[in-house]
Amino acid sequence: MKKLLPVLATCLAAAASAAPASSDEPLDPDKAFVPTARLVATAPAAAGTGERHGIDVEYRIEPGYYLYRNRLKFELHPANVLTGPPEFPPGIEVDDPFLGKSAIFRDRVTIHIPFAVSMARPGHYRVRIVAQGCAEDRICYSPFVQEVAVNIPPGYRVMDFPATQAPPAAPRGLPR
Amino acid sequence: MKGWLPLAGIGLLAGLAGVSLWLADRHATPPAIEAGPVDASPAAIQSALFRDGDGAPRSLGQFAGKVLVVNFWATWCTPCREEMPGFVKLQSRWQDRGVQFVGLAQDDPAKVAAFGRELGVNYPLWLGEEGVMALSRRLGNRLGVLPHTVLLDGQGRVIESRIGVFAEPVLESRLAAITGK
Repeated sequence: MKKLLPVLATCLAAAASAAPASSDEPLDPDKAFVPTARLVATAPAAAGTGERHGIDVEYRIEPGYYLYRNRLKFELHPANVLTGPPEFPPGIEVDDPFLGKSAIFRDRVTIHIPFAVSMARPGHYRVRIVAQGCAEDRICYSPFVQEVAVNIPPGYRVMDFPATQAPPAAPRGLPR
Repeated sequence: MKGWLPLAGIGLLAGLAGVSLWLADRHATPPAIEAGPVDASPAAIQSALFRDGDGAPRSLGQFAGKVLVVNFWATWCTPCREEMPGFVKLQSRWQDRGVQFVGLAQDDPAKVAAFGRELGVNYPLWLGEEGVMALSRRLGNRLGVLPHTVLLDGQGRVIESRIGVFAEPVLESRLAAITGK
């Protein structure tokens, strides 16, 4: 009998704690959606193609929260590195009865912002992000701004395409 | 040994009940919670400018004397859209008892108009730029989240400010308490 009491107490405690604290304030967006940035160089995807360089912005998203894929916007400051359009993973497709099909990100996601190394100047940069997201079935955040730092070190001047090849076309969306 | 069995059964049932409650509550919409302190005078609230669907300037002051339910929302905010059918019903039931709903959005005017038509919204849906969320923040919405609903008295004073989904029966009981009707 005495041995059973702790088991019973554990069961009752589990029952009591199972109901979520639903009246809690939602998380601050900077805690619900945590971005970090790092400089990346990826190996050539195929023979004859150059390395890919850019910035990976990784979001860590709290359970029960999500970001809208098509509402994420990125800018690099100062703008003396020309970046291409961000490369998003497909995300999780959702079908909204009013807005139609869209995609969201949960848990973790990495967005790649490409740049041409030959145009990169060493220095300290800030990636300015405008994001929108929600806490499931509860609230949504109006567009919020976040910034993450990234450093391009001196000497970061490797060629991003073989010297014998013609330079790749300028990425779409770059100013001409 | 035999004395264990009833207690073990109770413990197991309690555990199962807890898990069932948790599973049932996982997808339930949590209630709206009280927003933070208000930092806006009644005059500032009543004179803040918005525009209606035709682009005409509007301000909450035009409803002076009525109890106002001011709802900050957006078409892309699913919880906002989910609570609005309840607001439509309450507007119908309370319009003759001195209550007026107003929706405020910083959003695409075409989408706002389309949603208003689709749902049959029977109260004004006004639009604004950054001023919409700026006012919402001054009315206690520290995190800048939607939906945010504020109850104002006839003089533009804040009675209550809540973030999250304001369930129809809860809001109705608040309106009854405020108006005494």
